[in-house]
Amino acid sequence: MPRSSASSKSRASARSTLAAQADRHALYERAVQDPEGDVKFFARTYRKLRGHEPVSMREDFCGTAALCEAWARSSPERTAMGVDLSQETMNWGLEHHIVPAGREIASRVTLVCEDVREVRRPKVDLTCALNFSYNCFKTRAELLSYFTAVHAGLNRDGVFLLDMLGGTEAILEGTTDNDHGDFIYRWEQAKFDAFSHDFQCYIHFLFPDGSKIYRAFSYDWRLWMAPELRDILLEAGFSKVHFYWEKTDAKGEGTGVFYEPDYVENQEIWWTYIAAER
Amino acid sequence: MPKKPAKKPGIPSVRSVGQTPAKPGAAKKGAAKKAAAKKPTAKKADRPTLAQRADKHTLYQNSVQSPAVDIEFFEGEFAKMRGRKPLRMREDFCGTALLSTVWCKSDPKRTALGVDLDAATLAWGRTHNLEPAGPEVARRVKLAQADVRETRFAKVDLTLAMNFSYCVFHTREALATYFAAAHQGLVRDGVFVLEVYGGTESMSVMSEERPVRGNITYIWEQEKFNVLDHHTLCHISWRFKDESVLERAFTYDWRLWTLPELRELLLAAGFREVKFYFERVDGDEGDEFLTGTGEFVARTEIDNQEAWLAYVVALK
Repeated sequence: MPRSSASSKSRASARSTLAAQADRHALYERAVQDPEGDVKFFARTYRKLRGHEPVSMREDFCGTAALCEAWARSSPERTAMGVDLSQETMNWGLEHHIVPAGREIASRVTLVCEDVREVRRPKVDLTCALNFSYNCFKTRAELLSYFTAVHAGLNRDGVFLLDMLGGTEAILEGTTDNDHGDFIYRWEQAKFDAFSHDFQCYIHFLFPDGSKIYRAFSYDWRLWMAPELRDILLEAGFSKVHFYWEKTDAKGEGTGVFYEPDYVENQEIWWTYIAAER
Repeated sequence: MPKKPAKKPGIPSVRSVGQTPAKPGAAKKGAAKKAAAKKPTAKKADRPTLAQRADKHTLYQNSVQSPAVDIEFFEGEFAKMRGRKPLRMREDFCGTALLSTVWCKSDPKRTALGVDLDAATLAWGRTHNLEPAGPEVARRVKLAQADVRETRFAKVDLTLAMNFSYCVFHTREALATYFAAAHQGLVRDGVFVLEVYGGTESMSVMSEERPVRGNITYIWEQEKFNVLDHHTLCHISWRFKDESVLERAFTYDWRLWTLPELRELLLAAGFREVKFYFERVDGDEGDEFLTGTGEFVARTEIDNQEAWLAYVVALK
């Protein structure tokens, strides 16, 4: 798990609220990311599809580049390139992930402030787009141009990994809270338009002293459906598209083990990984 | 982005909702009848059951079609958009051609072309709809046993694809070909109308029941919905007052297309404008179920619901 923000809390002054002292990037990482789990799944999936180890990885919409750090840390040959439009967020990542990781790991991580549709080089074994960020492309033409760029930026046997969100509750308005002890992560689906699939969402952080970071992150998305993603990936030139699904235990908890089903019945809310082979 | 939520398997998503408004594949527009009291009078022995004696096409027409309501709505909107009355209509996936027959009955200048692949259903329609309408009406209805993607037909003012039948096209390519053919088959100011269902329930395994005329229960069943490709397997059954059931009289192997997909494909096929009409629902705030009014209004955005019914209107 990424570092927690507990150290800043210990210096709380009497005047300042918990929200004022909190760091939204740190909270975000704790609430929604699992870079070590992603790295394991990516490597395993790549090996299964290609029969050898992936070395180079590109993280689109990398934000704080926590996944880049985890990738480079996981093996001494591995290199990572993070791409994001926000220099401010990448700077946070440099300060909190890449530099503290030490010179050796940092030397294998590159962060690029650019549109993910513009990056073609260096070619990589694996490109990933996580946390549903590609939903910022709201037209088919835009998403196709992004997927085409990913395709062009992959080595010949490269693999593109993305995650997706779905379920009957994913296409409705609603709010979900997750209590992390020292803060509550609130996911708000403020609007889902059946006409366009426009999807307006927010992340809020709430603290025990009643303070909050309202709309810490805002998303103006189109929620793409599984068959649309498959259609557009194939149109972009990918030869094969795989949908994975997490196995669950008797209690219905995720086990971290994924399989490739042909048929999946809908559920209230689900997320999963898609792999597209170049 | 949302926290990756724990998936909830094991929770069966099978639900049976009896009073939801716009019912996928089921809604008879504007019809909201009270449930008839059911008398389980099981008649004895050798007599065939009501299910055995029933005619599935008659049941279908009575349960899910309201051609007069459809026609009134389409001609009103057509007149608003085009400033004239539509006369030539093509009914794709026409089945028994009930809509074509009612269209020609509605005005002596009207003509209709019904297109369907199934010869037996067309023959049934000839016997039960066209002939009873009389020779004057029947001669203005042409039926073609053909693929709706064919382009050899005379051009029309209005093409209608009701009851979601275009969902038989599972790929973008197939649907795009159909839309291109529909576009080509229209006169210069022609209009193409599709009926669409959606909402969270449309993407779930479920079944629902609704009383229809004659003490009969109409059963709409979504046996499968695959989130990976949006393929859905649906059935229509009827249950009768003697408790006999006409099981899965109709089965549909569809891809459930979403509104943005339809819009994109229609524009790509050459249509200049795509409008959406949603059924207006009645109900007070906090009501668990809203009631479909049978009235459709143009909307440019709509909050998603459990179930909704819409017309997609594409202007050439």
